[in-house]
Amino acid sequence: MTMTRRDVLLGATAAAALLPLAARPQTSEVVIGATYPLSGSGAQVGVDAQRAFETAIDIINNDQDFDLPLAKGAGLPGLGGAKIRIVYADTQGDPQKGRAEAERLITQEKVCAILGSYQSAVAVTISQICERYQTPFISADNSSPSLHRRGLKYYFRASPHDEMFSAGMFDFLDAMKKKGAKANTLALFHEDTIFGTDSANAQTKLATERGYKIVADIKYRANSPSLSAEVQQLKAANADVLMPSSYTTDGILLVKTMAELGYKPNAIVAQAAGFSEKALYDAVGDKLEGAITRGSFSLDLAAKRPMVGKINDLFKAKSGKDLNDNTSRQFMAMIIMADAINRAKSTEGEKIRDALAATEMPGEQTIMPWKRVKFDESGQNNDADPVLLQYVGGKFVTIFPSQAAVADAVWPMK
Amino acid sequence: MTAETIIQSLASGLLMGLLYGLIAVGLALIFGLMDVVNFAHGEFLMLAMYVTFFLFTFFAIDPLLSAPLAAAALFVLGAAVYLLIVRFAMRAKANVGMVQIFATFGLAIVMRGLAQLFFTADYRSVPNSWLGGKTVSVAGIYLPQPQLFGALVAIAAFGGLYLFINRTDFGRALEATREDPGAVALVGIDKNRVFALGWGLGGALVGLAGAIMATFFYIYPDVGASFALIAYVTVALGGFGSVFGAFAGGIVVGLVEATTALILPPSLKSVGIYAVYLLVVFIRPRGLFGSM
Repeated sequence: MTMTRRDVLLGATAAAALLPLAARPQTSEVVIGATYPLSGSGAQVGVDAQRAFETAIDIINNDQDFDLPLAKGAGLPGLGGAKIRIVYADTQGDPQKGRAEAERLITQEKVCAILGSYQSAVAVTISQICERYQTPFISADNSSPSLHRRGLKYYFRASPHDEMFSAGMFDFLDAMKKKGAKANTLALFHEDTIFGTDSANAQTKLATERGYKIVADIKYRANSPSLSAEVQQLKAANADVLMPSSYTTDGILLVKTMAELGYKPNAIVAQAAGFSEKALYDAVGDKLEGAITRGSFSLDLAAKRPMVGKINDLFKAKSGKDLNDNTSRQFMAMIIMADAINRAKSTEGEKIRDALAATEMPGEQTIMPWKRVKFDESGQNNDADPVLLQYVGGKFVTIFPSQAAVADAVWPMK
Repeated sequence: MTAETIIQSLASGLLMGLLYGLIAVGLALIFGLMDVVNFAHGEFLMLAMYVTFFLFTFFAIDPLLSAPLAAAALFVLGAAVYLLIVRFAMRAKANVGMVQIFATFGLAIVMRGLAQLFFTADYRSVPNSWLGGKTVSVAGIYLPQPQLFGALVAIAAFGGLYLFINRTDFGRALEATREDPGAVALVGIDKNRVFALGWGLGGALVGLAGAIMATFFYIYPDVGASFALIAYVTVALGGFGSVFGAFAGGIVVGLVEATTALILPPSLKSVGIYAVYLLVVFIRPRGLFGSM
């Protein structure tokens, strides 16, 4: 007779009840790794991600009344009520450190799954390591389209990628043009790692297909001490729409330099990242009234789905911030992974992988404006609808697509 | 490419270059004085930016006014780092050079970690300073006031430093210790005091730079890293140990960076700096104005 893990677990639970407290073996737990930049230039995002994961496991490990998978009841029922523990690893935003940390998580910390990783460049190396060790990986917040096109079996992404985001952005521009807005020429401004490069490629392709003219395509070096040369070129090109793909530090410097060099575009339509971070608006929000960014999350949704507001409150109590594009996706990544482990009734990589592949989560059971979570063969969820948000009066309002919009776009920006 | 674009680039490059020079000059001073490279120089800059930020946030002191306070705070830090760390690192029985590198490098990592622990990883900025976001426009050329002010401070600081070294007793003691640390003991100069003063001055100069930078740059625990790298190049380019060299090197770096960004794609703009740097160290290993 073969003994399954479940039997072992049941046996262990029974034994635990009989043993005196001191000799009781550790309560069974499920260990999940999270790889984020916890120091270095991306640290703020990584630290916020920790709060997002803690909010999610609070809901999973304790009995809470939300319409989310695993919220009711404590722990994972499929594994006898086992609780989730997260082990964090610091990638410092560096692909090589990400690779080493992922390997350490799997071999030393014995995690059964990994979530990550903010920078797409880091997701590339982590997902390769996960593939080698047959450990499922969910890309919580990486948006480079090339990530799911590498034929990996253990790679999953529930949120949209930049081609979907960019298509949403161009749908919006098309709609604005129909209304008579001036949006014919574009200036791309993107950083030089995989995120910026993939984003610009997707935007270039869409611009050509839909008849927009790219008058400036500026690839700049991430974390540059000065962006004045770059901004001058943007200013000289004077496009109708500026489309930046930048992380927070570069985004802040970009907006400051634009103000210093007297460049005020008609409209900014940003590829999220830094432009969905509170830090950026704290620093230069006064210069960004009317700026538009794509997103996969909007607090507006709380009006339709009260759970979103309550979960936001839980997160805010931990972090002092509202959920945003990144933290909402990190939160969901943990819920989706926990749901799969629960259904797999196992911590074996292959079984979790199969459970992830079989995921079918309706949009109403998430905090996102998605139709549902269902992964295709490449691990991508194609039913994750992006939204466009506009920064108006110190907060974001959803302006596109029309079924999600709560306000009309202000165009041109002030 | 219009004439305007070129002039604007050169102007931006010059302003940035003077600031690079100001950041680098403290490094050059300490190196010239005692052959020690302060690998925590970027973290000194980071700390000065936080000092400025907190003085602004809690006491509403504008960076313009708090610049001397930041300089004073960093003077104390610089002297303390010498007295508490570097002095002992220099006493190592073997591999003195390595020990001092690891000591200041370790200090840099500790400072970054502590900054993240106490100040969090969030990006801060001084939102409405007197100069922040303001610009002077001359014939279509934009000169951001923070950088313009920074350039003036840099020139004043170089001038002041020059006078200090050449006209005061302390300055002469500094020069003498630099020439021959062994001989100065014979005439009654306390080497440790002079070295501590050098470190203090180095800190004060980067403290000034940090206060100015807080008006236009974002602040976070790792902010020093990218500027420190440029400072090392500036010092090597300008001439090891030469304060005037750091000044000139900073201007060269700023201008080269700006012109490279005009000619090459902006993602390659630092290539110009490193190319010039390589060229200089090949042809003139002591740097443009080095005297060793």
